[in-house]
Amino acid sequence: MNPPESNQVVYDPRGTVDAEPRPISKRPASLEGLRVGVLDNTKWNGRRFLEKTLALLQASEGLGEVTYYKKESFSKNAAPELIGRIAAENDAVITGIGD
Amino acid sequence: MPEAVQKRAAQIETVDADADLIEHYYERGFSDGLPVAPPTPEKVEAMVAALGGEPDFLEGRVPPRWGSLTREVLAINAVMAGCLPEYAPVVRAAMRALCDSHFNLNGIQATTHMACPLLVVNGPIRGAIGMNADCNVFGSGNRANATIGRAVRLILLNTGGGWPGELDKSTLGHPGKYTYCIAENEEISPWAPYHVEKGYAPEDSTVFAIAAEAPHSVTNHISDDPEGILESICSAMSTIAHNNAVSSGSCAVVIGPEHAATIAGKGWTRHDVRSFLWMNTKNTFADVSFGHRYGKVYNRNLPRWYGREAESRIPIVPSPENIHLFVVGGEAGRFSAFIPGWGHMTNPVLRAVDSGEPAPGAICVDGTCML
Repeated sequence: MNPPESNQVVYDPRGTVDAEPRPISKRPASLEGLRVGVLDNTKWNGRRFLEKTLALLQASEGLGEVTYYKKESFSKNAAPELIGRIAAENDAVITGIGD
Repeated sequence: MPEAVQKRAAQIETVDADADLIEHYYERGFSDGLPVAPPTPEKVEAMVAALGGEPDFLEGRVPPRWGSLTREVLAINAVMAGCLPEYAPVVRAAMRALCDSHFNLNGIQATTHMACPLLVVNGPIRGAIGMNADCNVFGSGNRANATIGRAVRLILLNTGGGWPGELDKSTLGHPGKYTYCIAENEEISPWAPYHVEKGYAPEDSTVFAIAAEAPHSVTNHISDDPEGILESICSAMSTIAHNNAVSSGSCAVVIGPEHAATIAGKGWTRHDVRSFLWMNTKNTFADVSFGHRYGKVYNRNLPRWYGREAESRIPIVPSPENIHLFVVGGEAGRFSAFIPGWGHMTNPVLRAVDSGEPAPGAICVDGTCML
């Protein structure tokens, strides 16, 4: 066994992450009658994906009021104010990428 | 080993004196695929000192993992990449550019597109640290170019978490994701350097960062006038396959020294070159919308003021200023290159090495003044 002073140091090149993880809300057991927000990421195929997903859910789940929202840019996070509005005005939200 | 060094938080463990550290870093997953130079306390300390000391000083947070880029973490990655301490200020300027919110590194790291940051260094630091701006400028063979670019990539992987398939979802990637760092050949260029065009003094040093695809060669051995050479570059720009065609944004063009000499020899300025390129690309809305073959297209990624008629011309980028022009390469050979960008989702960023701000007032370069 080597004495400690002759050991080699290993460095961690990653740096710490100081942000706290925030989990997404639990999924509701049923969407029936719930207010549903649809967040469009502004991509061509994203919108088509959301429209078809919504149509399927409306047919099978009997959704309540549906409200559409748009992100400012598909490559950036939705603005905190927009997320706040969606959270206040809906019980569930549908979003997706679709490149 | 001094006690102060032993207490550093980034030192996660010690291993036996005869352990193979290169293999150890591979096992920990801290490599870009190539062997890293194992950091030692002495080398890390020297790199931190080159950044001004204060190892815990936070230089930025690197998305999408948002790891804290302290000077010590920057130094560790720079040593691993093979950098000398005198390269450290360039790596820092590059990371400051990349962490500017206008650059949208979060999107660039995660996108399915192949873009990654291209770094272009200007000013006296190029010579001071022995960067290559000459033959094979985009290729291998120069320590400063290779390891500055690699240090940035290691930070994007280790600190930013841009590991392939995890937070980096690029379908294809490109070779610049190992290293993608060049210097402008200011000595051979007939025009003022890029950073001077942007208002810095010639004695300032800067790093320019743009999210970019790989360079596309432009061959023209026949034209003895600016128009002919630039038409060849326009031809490379006029495809519907690169991201600028459908997502606008910014791009880079590098003019080889022989082409630059011909163009400038006819009295053309950098602004003339950018304007000609902007004016003469050939894409139309019918091209980029596939003639509505797959459904009616508006394309929200293109500026509102572009026409949407079939024959409407669709510029590659919204204005000549969105074409970032550099003179690079060896003195022989009639070649230039077009380097497509990522799109409107990012803005290129220019940052001074160490301190330094652009000079105040109108920017006048090569006889062209812009207020």
